[in-house]
Amino acid sequence: MRLTVFNGSPRGKQSNTKILMEHFSRGFTENTGNTVEVAYLNQTGETERYVELFKKAEHIILAFPLYTDAMPGIVKHFIEALTPAAGGKENPSIGFVIQSGFPEPIHSRFVARYMEKLAKRLGCPHTGTVIRGGVEGIQVQPPWMTRKLFRSFYRLGVGYAAAGRFNEEIIRKLTPRERMSFGRRLFFRLLNLTGLTNMFWNMKLKENNAFEKRFAHPFKEF
Amino acid sequence: MKITILDGNPEKDRTGFYRYLNELVTGLQSDKHQVKTLTLRDMEIKFCTGCWSCWWGPTPGECVFKDESHTLCREYINSDFVIFASPVILGFTSALLKKTQDKLIPLLHPYIELVQGECHHKKRYDRYPGIGLILDTNSDTDEEDITVTTDMFHRFALNLKTELAFSLLTDQPVAEVQDAINRI
Repeated sequence: MRLTVFNGSPRGKQSNTKILMEHFSRGFTENTGNTVEVAYLNQTGETERYVELFKKAEHIILAFPLYTDAMPGIVKHFIEALTPAAGGKENPSIGFVIQSGFPEPIHSRFVARYMEKLAKRLGCPHTGTVIRGGVEGIQVQPPWMTRKLFRSFYRLGVGYAAAGRFNEEIIRKLTPRERMSFGRRLFFRLLNLTGLTNMFWNMKLKENNAFEKRFAHPFKEF
Repeated sequence: MKITILDGNPEKDRTGFYRYLNELVTGLQSDKHQVKTLTLRDMEIKFCTGCWSCWWGPTPGECVFKDESHTLCREYINSDFVIFASPVILGFTSALLKKTQDKLIPLLHPYIELVQGECHHKKRYDRYPGIGLILDTNSDTDEEDITVTTDMFHRFALNLKTELAFSLLTDQPVAEVQDAINRI
């Protein structure tokens, strides 16, 4: 099987999306002759070439982070460039990976509905949608915190190679509940009182000598 | 009220849309509103790169790239109401408008709070404008597209500390928008 991954993260090769998809690809190519090609949609000068890649692809995964409750601008830019390919009879299959910084899957459900409609519109058989929240920290978290997540993406890859689609059981396990439980919300509130929930941001703000300016509102005229 | 229209139409020669917005501006002005239109296709707004300088510095609250997103953020936050207007392209608002929404992120604070039991960003400003959505359908647009797009804007409004006051189509009279705004 030949897989083409369109990475829709504005951070491109530095993205969390890339890390998740690397674990997926490791599973997808293991013990098979399968291949993976990756296109980074943040290289907006390559759009024409990417449309050709789309047309020639066998299986596609479009993976992106949630940006203001939808797909990032670069992803919509790419989608619009696909207009001439819409409805093609030989179009590749397509699956989606939507990850967010917010921990709850509820945030990503709406753009997921859009993506599934888009698959129909493009004439691409839909192979499933993976939603995963709480991804923002994976580059700074210690390995024990990410091991299970990376393992799941690896297993998704293995399953995709076997069945040509995402395994629904693993998808469900990646999104155990739509919103945080009462207990977790309570825990978050307590943690918030201690200021611990802001620790990551404060560390970064201090690194950039911007901590004192963190509440700046430079455009206020009222 | 001070109203800003974000014209997210990427095609200059989409005359129906142009006429609709012109009529809308005239209508709103006759209701004594102060109206400003930002023609997004003529503005130099770069795609968000996800660098988060606007959240963790060196420039909290503003994009580190000196593009016209600074004008956008200034006009947006100082408005009482903002209208997002766009043709429906492949079932959603234009990439031009989406790129613009991404660049409003500096108006929020990185810290997280619980809103309706969900994680959302904290306010950076004391107040945020109300928002409305105007969609110009294409031949491939169906009802589901309108619903999906409107639902996504309800979510966007929740994150932007406001409510979506209306979602209307350009084949309805501009008076519908005027009425919706005057009810606020």
